[in-house]
Amino acid sequence: MVTDYKRRDTLMGETQYAIHMDDQTAALKGALLHDIRRSIFVYRVDCGGCNGCEIEIFAAITPIFDAERFGIKVVSSPRHADILLYTGSMTRSMRVPALRAYHAAPDPKVCVAYGACGSSGGIFHDLYCVWGGADQVIPIDAYIPGCPPTPPATIFGFAMALGILSQKLKATHHVEGEDERVQPRHPELPLDLRVDVERESRRMAGYWHGQQIADSFLNLLKAPASDIERNIQNFLAQKDDSRLTEIFGRLSEIYLMRKA
Amino acid sequence: MPFKLLREVLKVGEATVPYPFVAVDLTPGFRGRPQHDPAQCIACGACAVACPPNALTMTTNLDEGIITWQIFYGRCIYCGRCEEVCPTRAISLSHDFELAVMNKADLYEQADYRLAACTRCGVLFAPAKELTYVLALLEQSGVTGDELAERGALLAMCPTCRRKNDIVKLVALNQEAV
Repeated sequence: MVTDYKRRDTLMGETQYAIHMDDQTAALKGALLHDIRRSIFVYRVDCGGCNGCEIEIFAAITPIFDAERFGIKVVSSPRHADILLYTGSMTRSMRVPALRAYHAAPDPKVCVAYGACGSSGGIFHDLYCVWGGADQVIPIDAYIPGCPPTPPATIFGFAMALGILSQKLKATHHVEGEDERVQPRHPELPLDLRVDVERESRRMAGYWHGQQIADSFLNLLKAPASDIERNIQNFLAQKDDSRLTEIFGRLSEIYLMRKA
Repeated sequence: MPFKLLREVLKVGEATVPYPFVAVDLTPGFRGRPQHDPAQCIACGACAVACPPNALTMTTNLDEGIITWQIFYGRCIYCGRCEEVCPTRAISLSHDFELAVMNKADLYEQADYRLAACTRCGVLFAPAKELTYVLALLEQSGVTGDELAERGALLAMCPTCRRKNDIVKLVALNQEAV
């Protein structure tokens, strides 16, 4: 195995690491995946993360998710490891320790990039000291995206890296169709009413919840005019939430003002 | 008494969730993979502007006359800002969390949209779908007939030509007034 500790130029989206694997190691790696099914030793390498990924990895080995059911065990030395788990965005200072951990682990080994940072640099990808993901330095076999990946996502990632479960995500490329049309939202209602209701609802409840509340309110307005008030009362009684009642009261005012 | 602990254990039962053999229970507000509905997208780029880690990007290709929307799940932090800002609900966070891949290329999702050319000068200036959506909104807000046709004609012009058009109109109006 040849290692050049200087970073090679990396092109966008293309990985060029300084490690070259010989044929024998590659063949052994194929056998490893087949042979270690029930005894997988994982070593975590934190290359400049925020520790969120570490917390989720430890959550994955707690009794609730119990990764040890599958023989997955987190070990404290790379010399015991079959799998190296790279978290963090691979900062400049951590690249040599990352390579040292790689070389300390016995061949054959599987390297996994964990979290958004490990997969690509994540939110830190354009920072001056960040090299943008473990795959810029180390040959990576599997990617587990997430910020951080939840314990089930972690278990799925391991199961996939070990060939127990198959990959679900596939790259897609959509090309706009000839008569592709966008459906406007709530086309039955006047546009200015919709905009006013959405704006007020977002102002009172925040963007995400405001949108949900505005949608449920506008859906209630689609009923015949005589039923609207009763429907709103029923809806609020069912939800039994004083905050929702407050917001609906304000939205109803807007509706009545617009109607008048 | 020696069986007290054993009784307790039997009473508590098994705490381990049977994932991956059984689907895991997710809370209603769970933020998973952003699901893009390419047919509903107008390629306005609001999500790309809002995206904190630049997982969402828009690339314009003037040679081919297309604008490409792209998401890179490897960089996404699942914050949901894209869902908040999307004007047409083309993107929403799903409950899908099983995103691990062996091949990095599978983490990309792309959608190509045609760019509309200005009716005056022929410059490509906006996604065609965005323009049809604006027209549909104008119609929804009660604009009809000649006014709708006139506004549609203005909409099909690039901002520069629209400005020139405005100046010509203003000059004509001024001359009339004089």
